[in-house]
Amino acid sequence: MKKLFNGKVMLLFIAMFMLAFVVACSSDDGESDGGTETDSGDSGSSDSAEGSGDGEISGELEIQYFVGGYGDSWWKEVIADFQEEYPDVTITEHAGPNINEEMRSRWVSNDPPDVVYIDGAGSSETQMVEDGQLMNLTEWLQDIELESGDKLADSFIVEPATYDGEIYSLPLVFDTWGTWYDKALFEEKGYEVPTDFDSFMSSMEEIKDGEGIEPLVTSGQHPYYFLRGMLYPAFGAAGGDELLADVIQGKEGAWTSDVVLETMKKVETLAAEGMFDSGLGALNHTQSQMNFLLHDNAFIPVGFWLPNEMANDIPEGFEFGFIPSPMQDAGEPYAIVPDLRPLAIAENAENPEAAKAFVEFAFTRDYAMSFSEHTGAIMNLTGVDLSQSDEVPAYLTEANAMINDPEQVQIYHKPHPMSADLETPIGNALMSLMLGNMTAEEFVEEAEKAAAEYRN
Amino acid sequence: MVQSKKQKYMFLAFCLVPTFIMFAIFTLYPLFSGLYYSFFDWSGSAQNKEFIGLDNYIKLINDAIIPDTIIHDYFLVATKVIGIMIMALFIAVALTQLKIKEAPFYRIVFFFPNIMSVVVIGILWTFIYNPSMGLVNSGLEFLGLESLARPWLGSETWALPSLVLPSIWAGIGLFMLMLMGGIANVSKSYYEAAEIDGANEWQQFWKVTLPLIWPQIKISILYIVITTLNGSFIIVQVMTGGGPNNSTHVMGSYLYQQAFVQFNFGYGATIGVMILVLSLITVLILQFLMRRDKVEY
Repeated sequence: MKKLFNGKVMLLFIAMFMLAFVVACSSDDGESDGGTETDSGDSGSSDSAEGSGDGEISGELEIQYFVGGYGDSWWKEVIADFQEEYPDVTITEHAGPNINEEMRSRWVSNDPPDVVYIDGAGSSETQMVEDGQLMNLTEWLQDIELESGDKLADSFIVEPATYDGEIYSLPLVFDTWGTWYDKALFEEKGYEVPTDFDSFMSSMEEIKDGEGIEPLVTSGQHPYYFLRGMLYPAFGAAGGDELLADVIQGKEGAWTSDVVLETMKKVETLAAEGMFDSGLGALNHTQSQMNFLLHDNAFIPVGFWLPNEMANDIPEGFEFGFIPSPMQDAGEPYAIVPDLRPLAIAENAENPEAAKAFVEFAFTRDYAMSFSEHTGAIMNLTGVDLSQSDEVPAYLTEANAMINDPEQVQIYHKPHPMSADLETPIGNALMSLMLGNMTAEEFVEEAEKAAAEYRN
Repeated sequence: MVQSKKQKYMFLAFCLVPTFIMFAIFTLYPLFSGLYYSFFDWSGSAQNKEFIGLDNYIKLINDAIIPDTIIHDYFLVATKVIGIMIMALFIAVALTQLKIKEAPFYRIVFFFPNIMSVVVIGILWTFIYNPSMGLVNSGLEFLGLESLARPWLGSETWALPSLVLPSIWAGIGLFMLMLMGGIANVSKSYYEAAEIDGANEWQQFWKVTLPLIWPQIKISILYIVITTLNGSFIIVQVMTGGGPNNSTHVMGSYLYQQAFVQFNFGYGATIGVMILVLSLITVLILQFLMRRDKVEY
């Protein structure tokens, strides 16, 4: 036995060991070297791309899009039409509910797809901009026109998010979180559709007595649903765009301010009065929506994806009704905070020409109309008359009319989505508040602490 | 035929080198690159990363959630070791010593959870714990114990203890088989001798069975500890996602959240290093505590 480890074999082992490490390390070095090279190379090529706008569109075009509640039928239509218009382009689609995870290695290795639709779990526009992965579209946007000749830059319902004044993504889907209820049930039993926080409370009181259920549900596994669906509108109504920006950016003192505390007191009241589903702590996305459809609960704050996503599970006689989340004080209009899902081009896109052609192609009023027909949601373009189409669901036409009536609804804007680094700890504390294990005062302290950590 | 030295070495190399290369690529390389990334501020979704030295480790020490995750992990380790070992041991003894006719049937029943994926087990138990239509709450209601019914996974107090039951249920089978193997190797004559000396079943268990299958018990405990520290992530991720309010986060699920949800991959790698160090220390301590002279009769 002893002989095995002398001389040659030992040498062989050492050699293998060294080899393995050299291989491991060198591949890493190679990657980062390649990265810097393509970095410099690409900033050059994107400059030149901006210069020569009219070149023939050909080559391979890779499109990454998340498929969630809106389905993929609209994408299939647009991509097929684009293919017809530009037959020389070979289109590769990367799509699915987990596409953000699946494509992550491509982004890390600096070989991203050309066009990306940023939506769904595992994606973060803010993070992508911070990492310099998205192309600066500020100047290019000024040249794009819709089919009618209107400038695209002037035709957004909500302006693109800006990072230090620069635009890196174009908001494609206009989603907004609000509160859903079953219109049929409310009409049958005569429950009041809430118009402000006081009537929200009295309506839920009625439902508790009438139906014997806890009226309000949200997904406890994703506490940020409640943050985006209920609290953002509440902050908007109470303190306008300024407060909304301050809490999202975690500005010092924003979370402990009186306005925020007052709003959080409302949440504490909701918890204390037993309005929340007592089991919501463990509910995931689908379970919470299923609970709502099964009348285990009467209200759920989520986005416009709900009817389309749950289309196969809607009980007979169920009729979707949508109101902006009624967290505002009596006498004030509803508040909504649009939530945008943008389309962007990768900074290191291999085919920026085709990518730009595609983005330009997708932003038309015709496709906006067909988007509403396919998905039951709204594309972020003005001047689309949804009532002209019979295929657009009724709740959407109504909601759209309501949102566009400033008497009824005030629209507030957030500067950009909240970073996951701030949203996660705040969501956790919020969960505790909703379960009744924390007071509003304790919550704002926790949130302020999280904001302080985020700022560092 | 006498083998030449060269042939012998060739054969050895043939056996060892491929395995070693695989080991280096799939174990050593990730291990060291994890260590390497823990010194960087990196989002994990882009190429640019910044060397920040020990900053991630300083953050680790100051992170208020980390001590909770460690406590949760060791809570699961302790409850699982106790639960699984007691149950597996008694079932193994019962199935081997008590001459039950249906023993093969029970063996299959108890081993069944082991062939199921942990993800499936997690989803299954999520339904069992469902507050409105789950088996647990409706069972309690059926027995007239409504007051005990609660949203198990949705409660900050009860979520973590609720994870113990499925973990134990899923773990019993494998260790039951291991211990049965050990017991089967104990010669019948020891029991006969003990019986002649007037030892009852309990005394036989404590004085004969337990000392003789100690090696199997020791391996089982170590195995449970290691798999829990590394793998409790799955059941947490599937059943609660670490919530509500971090009350069920274990080190692994917190690592996942940091690395892939909050885009702090470097910090996630740091947590990974911590898990490695804690696992090593734990195993060393356990080895020390459980060392016993080999018993032979």
